[in-house]
Amino acid sequence: MRVLFLEAPYKHKAELGHEVLTYIISKKYKTIGLYMAVQFVESLDRIKKQLKEVGVAVVTSTPLRSQHKGQLLGCDVFSGNLQIKEEERREIDAYMYIGDGKFHPNALLYGQKDLHVDELREVICYDPISAKINVIRVEDIRGVLKRYRGALLKFLGAKRIGVISSLKPGQEFVKVSMMLEKKFPDKKFYFFVDESISFNQLENYNFIDLWVNTACPRIGFDDTEWFSKGIINLNDAFLVEEILSKNSVLNQV
Amino acid sequence: MEQYDLELAKAVAEIKKVKAKVVCVQLPDGLKPLANKIEEELSRKTNARILFWLGSNFGACDIPSGLNRLGVDLMICWGHAKFHKQIEGW
Repeated sequence: MRVLFLEAPYKHKAELGHEVLTYIISKKYKTIGLYMAVQFVESLDRIKKQLKEVGVAVVTSTPLRSQHKGQLLGCDVFSGNLQIKEEERREIDAYMYIGDGKFHPNALLYGQKDLHVDELREVICYDPISAKINVIRVEDIRGVLKRYRGALLKFLGAKRIGVISSLKPGQEFVKVSMMLEKKFPDKKFYFFVDESISFNQLENYNFIDLWVNTACPRIGFDDTEWFSKGIINLNDAFLVEEILSKNSVLNQV
Repeated sequence: MEQYDLELAKAVAEIKKVKAKVVCVQLPDGLKPLANKIEEELSRKTNARILFWLGSNFGACDIPSGLNRLGVDLMICWGHAKFHKQIEGW
């Protein structure tokens, strides 16, 4: 089956308003990590120019799964997803997201969870349609990260793990998830498949100690209230000991 | 929603190009109230039967499976760009 993606681009020229530029200047930021919803990517160069005019450099990139430069996806929640060089990342004083809502910009926070606290950067969210600015920081996801760290710790000792996979082609990682059996031979893995995850079915499998999510990685962060036994994402399951041993944001929340 | 270009001409052109007889349209929540207008435009300019995916449209990774069984020739996913899946994981 052929698939056509229509990006529904913003019809007008997206620009930074006075309030957001004033905020950046007041914070004395010198370099901004700039990302946006796909609807605004055509305005990337214009916004870069605006920032340059007030003496602010821009770091941006084409993230791992994106089609366009500067286009942020909600699944860009792992260190390295943005595909920026380490030395460039260290230059960034704050991230900026152009678009509405918190779903996408929260990815920029989650993506910093394994960094040292001193490297953590706030995310300036700017909606060019409403001209509203909203700044999000790790405090906004502290509760999520605490639960997530608890689930990672639980995974270490858990014996019966439920692995959830989606049938959606873009979210299906069944074969990769089966590599967990080799990595953790002392654990018993049960593999579950679904289209959209049926959260209300989880409790029926009451023998499961903990869940591993292989579908959209945001389920592991944003939908934790459905998982009374706890849930972690597949990538983090493979790296659990390394993640928990770091002097990181996640381990200090 | 009038702030965004629905690119309906692109949709019509693609339906005609691939000679699609059955098209499934997947809309983000913000565009779902416009489903009737989209159906009207696509039906009027093509002879395709237009179906709508009722459920989620969280991203380009969220394309439903199993539509082949309904004879869907073309899926049109609004609001997202092509997704470059990494087969080894996220």
